[in-house]
Amino acid sequence: MSTLNAIQLTGVSKSFDGFMALAQADFTAKWGEVHALLGENGAGKSSLMNIAAGLYAPESGSLFIDDNPVRLSGPRDASRYRIGMVHQHFKLVKPFSVAENILLGLPEQPGNAVRGSHRQRLRALEARIGEKAAELGFAIDPCQATESLSVAEQQRVEILKVLLAGARILILDEPTAVLTDQEAERLLETVRSFARQGAAVILVTHKMSDVKRFADRVTVMRGGRTIQTLDPQSVSIAELVRLTVGESATTHAHQPGTPGEERLRVRGLRSPEVGGHRVLNGIDLSLRAGEIYGIAGVGGNGQSELANALMGLPEPTEGDIELIGFGDLRRASSEQRRALRIACIPADRYGTALAGELSVAENFGVGQIHGGRYGSFFRLRRKRLEEDAAAAIAGFDVQGVRSLKQKAALLSGGNAQKLVIAREFSREPQLVLVHSPSRGLDVRATAAVHGRLRTARDAGAAVLVISEDLDEVLALADRIGVMNAGRIVAEFPHPADRQAIGKAMVTHE
Amino acid sequence: MNDRLRPVMLEQAVQDARKPRRPLLARRYALEIRQQLAWYWQASIIGLALLVGLGLSAAILVAAGVPAGELLNEFVVLTVFDLQSLKAVLFQASPMILVGLAGCMAFRARFWNLGLEGQMIWGAIGATAISLFQIGPEALRLPLMFGAAVVCGLAWAVAPVLLKLRLSVNEIISTLMLNYLALNFLLHLLYGSWKDPRSSFPYSPQFQPFERLPDVLDGISAAVPLAVVVALLALWFLGLSRAGLYLRFVDANPRVAGAVGVPVRRMIVATVLLSGAMAGIAGFLVTAGQEGRLTQSFYQGYGFSGILIAFLARNNPIAALVVALLMAMLFVAGRSLQVFYQIPFSMVQLIQAILVICVASSDFFIRHRIRRVQGGES
Repeated sequence: MSTLNAIQLTGVSKSFDGFMALAQADFTAKWGEVHALLGENGAGKSSLMNIAAGLYAPESGSLFIDDNPVRLSGPRDASRYRIGMVHQHFKLVKPFSVAENILLGLPEQPGNAVRGSHRQRLRALEARIGEKAAELGFAIDPCQATESLSVAEQQRVEILKVLLAGARILILDEPTAVLTDQEAERLLETVRSFARQGAAVILVTHKMSDVKRFADRVTVMRGGRTIQTLDPQSVSIAELVRLTVGESATTHAHQPGTPGEERLRVRGLRSPEVGGHRVLNGIDLSLRAGEIYGIAGVGGNGQSELANALMGLPEPTEGDIELIGFGDLRRASSEQRRALRIACIPADRYGTALAGELSVAENFGVGQIHGGRYGSFFRLRRKRLEEDAAAAIAGFDVQGVRSLKQKAALLSGGNAQKLVIAREFSREPQLVLVHSPSRGLDVRATAAVHGRLRTARDAGAAVLVISEDLDEVLALADRIGVMNAGRIVAEFPHPADRQAIGKAMVTHE
Repeated sequence: MNDRLRPVMLEQAVQDARKPRRPLLARRYALEIRQQLAWYWQASIIGLALLVGLGLSAAILVAAGVPAGELLNEFVVLTVFDLQSLKAVLFQASPMILVGLAGCMAFRARFWNLGLEGQMIWGAIGATAISLFQIGPEALRLPLMFGAAVVCGLAWAVAPVLLKLRLSVNEIISTLMLNYLALNFLLHLLYGSWKDPRSSFPYSPQFQPFERLPDVLDGISAAVPLAVVVALLALWFLGLSRAGLYLRFVDANPRVAGAVGVPVRRMIVATVLLSGAMAGIAGFLVTAGQEGRLTQSFYQGYGFSGILIAFLARNNPIAALVVALLMAMLFVAGRSLQVFYQIPFSMVQLIQAILVICVASSDFFIRHRIRRVQGGES
C-alpha cells in the first residue's frame, strides 16, 4: 500500500431541495487500499460518491485526484480521470448483450478504437472482455443478453464495464446488498486483489462484517458528515455501530410467540412448466396465528413468485393457497383482501407498494378508502384522510415528511417502508405477508420494522416473512422454512442451527 | 513591460490550450433534475411557454401578410370585446370544451384515446338518427337525441378499451383506425340514404326547430351552460370523488394501484366510456347546436383539438375549459383571417401545433433546473 492519495474530497456540501445531504464532508482514499465508506441509509454515502464519480456537482468543496485539483463535468469526465462507479441499481440496457453494454460505457480513446465494422469491433471487444473476466475470475459470456443474467452476473458486467473503461479508482455502492454470502465473499476477494495491484477501491456499505473483513480503512458517515476515519482492525463492531448510529442501538433477543390455530395452508403450489422447469415446484407450508414463519433461501429460488402469488399480484400458479375460513386466497378480490385484513409488504417498494409521484397522504389513505372511511364514493373526505395520515406518520415514526402533500418518492428507503407499514397496519392485520422488509434499510429502520412485525404477531396475526437475508430470518422467525429450487426443502423450529440452514439453502438434490 | 509579460501570457495560453476542452454551456451551468416544483411556478413556466408560442405564431402570421398592427385587433378585440364575436367564440367553444374534457378523462386513466373524432361523429350520427326517424314525441325529441349521442359515443369506445384490457391491443392504433371507420361511415350516410332530398348536397335534412338547441339568454346557445355543467361534473369526478383518487393511482402506477386494492380495470373501463360519452355529446352539440343537421364539419379537426386541449390543460378540467375558450378564439379569428386576408384555415392548425410544441418543451424546465455553478479552479 502506498501513501499517495488517489482521490480526496474536502469540505464537500450538497443539498437537494433544501435538504442538506452533505455538510462539509471530507474523504481520502489512497492507492492500493480498500476503503470502506460506512453509514446508515441517508447518511450521504451515495451522494458523496456520486460527486466523486461526476454525477453531481458539489455546491462547495473541492476534489483532488493524485493531489491535483479537478472539476468533473460528468461521468464521462470522471472516466477520463479513471474513476469508475458501480451503482447499487445497475445501469444496464437489458436487451443488449454484455459486450454491447460495455461498449456503451467505453470512452472514445484512441486505444479503444479498433478499425473495421461494428461487428468486428464488437468481436475484438468480446475478446478483451473474455481476457479481463478470466483475469478477475468471472465466468461471463460476452454475447449473452444482460436481462438473462442473474443479479450477481449483472454486477460483474458493471465491474467489467468500468474496468475496461480504464478505471483505477473503483467505487462500489452497496455491492453485497444483492448477493448471497458466498457471492459477496468472492466479489470482495476480487476487489481486494485488484486494490493490491495498486488501484483504489471504495466500498460503500452498511454491513459491518464486510468492513471488518475486507477494508483497510473505514470512514464513517452520519447525517451528511464524515465522522471519523479509522483502521477497522483496531475497533470492535460494537464501536463501529455506535459511530454510525450515533447512539448504541439495542439488538433484540428473539422472543418466541405463542402460536394458535392454523390460518394459511399452502399445498402443492406450482408454477406452470416452462422448458421442463417449474419456478415453484410444490410448496407446502402452514402458517399459524401468533407466529412468524420465515422463509430463508438464496435469491432466485422462487421467493418472488411465491410472494406474488400470496400477495395477489399476477402470477400463474396451480395448487392450493387456502386461507382458513375463506377459501382460495387467489380468488379474493382486493376489497375482500382488505376486509380479511391481509397486510402485504412487497419487496419492490416503488414498484408495487407506493406510487412515488403521489403524495404521502394519498399513499397512506388509499389503503382504507374502499371501506368508506374517507367518505362515500361521491365525496372524498380529504381532511379526515390527512388527519389520519398525520397521526399514522407520527405513530410509525416516518421521518422526512415535510408536508403531507410531498411526493412519496422523496422519502428515503426506510421511511418509505415505514409508510407502507403504517398503511398496511392501519387496521389490525390478521395475516401479514412480507418480502425482504429490510432491503436497503439501515440498522435503526430495520429494528423499527422488525419491532412492528413482532407487535403484529403478539397481537395475534399470522406473519410470513420471505427474506434472502438469513440474519433477518433468524432474528424474526419462530419457524424457518428453507426454500430451494421452488420448494420448501427443510423446516427448522426456533432456535435454529445457522449452519444447518445454510447447508439446506445451498444443497442441490 | 508588455514585452516582459508576453512570454508569461504565452505560457498561460499554451497551458489553457492543453486544458481539457469543455462545451461552452457546460462551463458555468449545471443541469439538475428537480423533484418537486410549486404549482404556481409550473403555471408560470407554462404561461411563459404559451407567450413564446404566441409570439412565434404572430411572427408567422405577419410573414404571411397580416399587418402586425391588426393582430391584436383580430385575435383579441374582435373576438372578445365584440358581443357578436364573443357569442361566436362561446358557441364555438362548447363542443371544444367537451372534446377537451373527453381527452382529459381518458388520459387520466393512461388511455390514449385518439378516437375522440370517431366518437364525436357517432354521437352526431346517433342524434341525427333520432331526428331523421322521428323517434319520440316532440317535447322529448331533444333529450332523446342527447341520450342517443351519449350512447353512440360511448359505444364507439367500448371496443378499444376491451381490446386493450383483454388482448393488450394498443389503443393508440385501434382508436385512430376507428376514426377512419366512423368518418367513412358518415360520408356513406351523407352521400347515400341520409342525403337531404331537397338539395342533393351531402348533408342530412335540416332539423326541426324543436330538435335544435334553444338559446337560453339573448343569443347564447344552451350548448354553453351544458358544456360548463359537464366540465363541473368532470371536475367533481376527477377531483372530489373517490374515483379521482383511484385514477391518480392508475395514472401514477397501475401495478401499485392493483396491489393496494384500486379496481384498476373497472376504473379504466368507466373512464374511457365516460370519455367516449363526452365526445358523443360534443358531436350532439355540433349537429343540434351549430349546424342544425348532420354535415361533414368534423373535418375541422375537433378530435385533434380535443387531444391538444387536454394536453395543454394537463388533463385538468377547469384548465380545459379555459384552453378550449382560447382555442375557440383562435378558430373564430382564423375564419375571419381566411375571409379578410386569404390566410388558409390550416394556419389555425399550425398555430395550435406551435403552442403545443412550446408547452411540451416547457416541461423540460419544470423537470430540470439550470443552475450556475460557483466558480472554481479547473
